[in-house]
Amino acid sequence: MKPAPPLPLPLRILWNAFFWTYERTTWQYDLMVIAILAFVWLTPPDWLGDPMAIGSGPVGWIVASFRQ
Amino acid sequence: MTFTGLIGRLCMYPLTLIIRACVRLRIHPNILTFVGVLINIGAAWTLGLGHFVTAGVIMVVANIFDFIDGKVAFELKAVSAFGGFWDSVIDRFSDLALFLGLIYLYSTLGRTDYVMVAALAMIFSIMTSYTRARAESLIAKCKVGFMERPERIVLFMIGAFTNRMAGVLWVILVLSVFTVADRIIHTYRELREDRQEAIA
Repeated sequence: MKPAPPLPLPLRILWNAFFWTYERTTWQYDLMVIAILAFVWLTPPDWLGDPMAIGSGPVGWIVASFRQ
Repeated sequence: MTFTGLIGRLCMYPLTLIIRACVRLRIHPNILTFVGVLINIGAAWTLGLGHFVTAGVIMVVANIFDFIDGKVAFELKAVSAFGGFWDSVIDRFSDLALFLGLIYLYSTLGRTDYVMVAALAMIFSIMTSYTRARAESLIAKCKVGFMERPERIVLFMIGAFTNRMAGVLWVILVLSVFTVADRIIHTYRELREDRQEAIA
């Protein structure tokens, strides 16, 4: 689904990401999968208040190392 | 080739062997579908107990049954309208069971916030399927939106194996909301176009 008025590139990327029309096994699909996996694995569980995961994850370690 | 395509091809090899075995044993595809939901209920139970890795393993087994039923039906020339209907209905039960397991887990931990996240993700996951089914009774095709069942199941497995279920639930929730919205907007546009063509 394409937006009626032409949008600037960043907005167009956001629109296409959320109003998804791409098939599986396309580069756009791969990119979305990478973004999702990055969010799931890199976001510190503490930030999300994860009831089961322990620790702050890779991003948390990096942030902590900069603070020291 | 894309990397998701490569992963799909790699997974297809063992699955082909299982499909061949089922065809040779002439196991009816509807039975495979039903066994799949029973195993998924087992996965939901272990999720509810917080044994994520065990739940992940059980989910892999359950979804092998889920995946191969259609292929076995094709190979056995047992494809039927009822088989498709049965598969869709049973898939919804599998989805609901997994979310219910997580809702139970978070409620025993006293985490009302994640009970709500899991419940909302469950609602929008079911609505994702409903909007497509209902739309396709009005228009030819409504296959838009990212978060369909295969994506959801793989995300559940990733969350279980790597103990990142909270992140997975947020992804499922947000992308399911957009998928439902996407399908509503797509159906509206398609119907509006049909109406304009009818007037012209």
